[in-house]
Amino acid sequence: MNLHRLRTIIGIELRQRVRSVGWYVLLGIFAVILVALLSLSFAAFSLTTGGSEWFFSLVILLVLLLTLLVSPTLSGSAVNGDRDAATLAPVQVTLVTTSEIVIGKFLAAWISGLAFLVVALPFLVVATLAGELNPGAIVTSLLILIIEVGVVAAIGVGLSAVIARPIFSVASTYLLVAALTVGTLIAFGLGGAALRTQTTTISRDVDWNAVPLGCDLSSPSTSPNCPSYDELPCVESSYVSEQPRFDRVWWILAANPFVILADATPPTYENGNPTDLFSQIAAGVRSAQLSPEETTSYDGCTLSRGLNVDDYPSTEERIAGTTPSWFVGLFFQLLLAGGLLAWGISRTKTPAKRLPPGTRIA
Amino acid sequence: MALGGVGGSLYGEAMDAGIDVAGVKRSFGAVHAVQQVTFTALPGRVTGLVGPNGSGKTTLMLMLASLLRPDEGEMRIGGIDPVSDPAGARRLLGWMPDSLGAWPSLTSREVLVATAQLYDLSREDARARADHLLELVDLGALAASPARVLSRGQKQRLALARALVHGPRVLLLDEPASGLDPQARIALRVLLRRLAGEGRTILISSHVLSELEEVVDDAVFMVDGRTVGTDRVAAAATRVRVWRVRVAADLARSTESVRGDIAAALGRTAEEVRVDRRDVLVPFSDEAAAVAGLRSLVSAGLPIVEFAPAVGDLEHAFLDLRAEASPPTPDLPDGPAGPRDASPPGSWAPPAAHPVTDADRTDDGSTS
Repeated sequence: MNLHRLRTIIGIELRQRVRSVGWYVLLGIFAVILVALLSLSFAAFSLTTGGSEWFFSLVILLVLLLTLLVSPTLSGSAVNGDRDAATLAPVQVTLVTTSEIVIGKFLAAWISGLAFLVVALPFLVVATLAGELNPGAIVTSLLILIIEVGVVAAIGVGLSAVIARPIFSVASTYLLVAALTVGTLIAFGLGGAALRTQTTTISRDVDWNAVPLGCDLSSPSTSPNCPSYDELPCVESSYVSEQPRFDRVWWILAANPFVILADATPPTYENGNPTDLFSQIAAGVRSAQLSPEETTSYDGCTLSRGLNVDDYPSTEERIAGTTPSWFVGLFFQLLLAGGLLAWGISRTKTPAKRLPPGTRIA
Repeated sequence: MALGGVGGSLYGEAMDAGIDVAGVKRSFGAVHAVQQVTFTALPGRVTGLVGPNGSGKTTLMLMLASLLRPDEGEMRIGGIDPVSDPAGARRLLGWMPDSLGAWPSLTSREVLVATAQLYDLSREDARARADHLLELVDLGALAASPARVLSRGQKQRLALARALVHGPRVLLLDEPASGLDPQARIALRVLLRRLAGEGRTILISSHVLSELEEVVDDAVFMVDGRTVGTDRVAAAATRVRVWRVRVAADLARSTESVRGDIAAALGRTAEEVRVDRRDVLVPFSDEAAAVAGLRSLVSAGLPIVEFAPAVGDLEHAFLDLRAEASPPTPDLPDGPAGPRDASPPGSWAPPAAHPVTDADRTDDGSTS
């Protein structure tokens, strides 16, 4: 890997982008959408006091959505587009190596994607200030956004080197991004529901049948023969039900970019409950790691008499022992991105053994 | 075109690097683009690669340029195998593809600077090199124009400059003259001769055979993915050939009567010679026969002003080899046939003189 040549490749790519009008139009549209989003959100959240943390996290998630939508167009035709324009071969006959070409294009696509984050940055700052969020949240969420843009850039460049036609590689990049965002959600839901286990629920309740005829517990003036509520006996009943096993498929959801973003951002809790969308999503994903207990018991009898034997654990407490899933997901994504890049490099190697069908090499 | 020094190799090696190709084959699925190619191109010489469209010239060029791996066979660029050591071969060779392939919105100068940097030149050296080459190919005035808006001929010149950016010792030029105006063609010819004079090896493919004829020292003929053996080329060159005879214009006499005079002076029937506009075309079996014929014409008192082969040496050999490669289909030669009024085989030659039907052809029809 020669830095001088790598820089030259990146320079060629970026110079073309900077000089194309379409690029600025895209950035402009992106900014307009963010302005609209931000002003609408301000208008909506001004109805209620508080809750502005939710608004901030929503804005960041939407920035992630928009960059995921834009990034494939920046990278999805990097290599095969050059081949179509006959600009790839003249570069390949120079001393630049195939890895330098593909990685240079990947870095260029990443840098172009970051331009969208730069446009989004003022909006993020405004949202943070308005939401009175902790600065740690914006730093981590920005880092994750930067990585996600890079992952999509790598997927796009890798696929563009593997697939012959630019439209198909751009479409495949979109499909892969869709698989990561929507597909993981569907696979998680269906997978969890498909893997069910039986659980037994044992509940203890006041035995209303033990109330003798003629007694009415709701009226205070009943005969002394009637038992008081506290004197009523308790009965136990149990029923069997099937529970989805999300604890077996939680890792699928971990690869979701939105989940990674939410889970990596430091959570905030108030009285054990999440106070923003990130913490809410993270709590949901983390609690999916918990396997359902084989038997759950519910003591309605004791509870109704005001004797709290066992406090329900708060969300914060319940997920305290779970593993953060974001680096599992990020690791998977980096593996996917790196693998596609490596595949792309091996398919672009010269002297070429085989050519993708329908390509002209020069 | 300003002629400055092109500059030696940037990598300091000696200049004598030739091209050796032996038994190279390459197929794309069922299409056997290159079936059997063997030839040598020597340093200091311009070698022409001649063949019809689809004969595998560009595929061969791509393999030599280290972009495509041959299925079989050996190649050496200055002793280096472009398959096992592409980087080593790439230092030596400059490749000019048949289309420029310009990056959108990069200027001519930037194209050259970027390419030079990819050959490991520093930014300053790359700039100096780009300016020098732009002057060399006469694009100095268009240095700041986007390469994409250049005309075809200007793109060709830019592509040539790009191929020269690292002072390569071996040049692979794919149709370099197409799209060039006459002045640029002459400049290209002068430049190629000078590059060869510096000891570089130049392999040049072209359809414009008359154009090629003026610049090449050697020729490699390719038909249906195979190089044609030099013996067959030599045989083709000595076969019956049509000569153009022009008699001083005399408005009083028709070309028909001139044709009769010429036939009579040569002792042939009028059917054996043909009229092509103002000229008469006469087949001769070899050069000795042509000399004898010219002598008889002059002795007969005919005012001969022009007596020359109707087609150039390369074209003659090319058309002849092509005709024997595909006897049933006398298809048109590809590309413009050059300024010598050459027509497709079979359209102008009298039946008796057609190479395919000629009695003195010697070869057995085998291909190498």
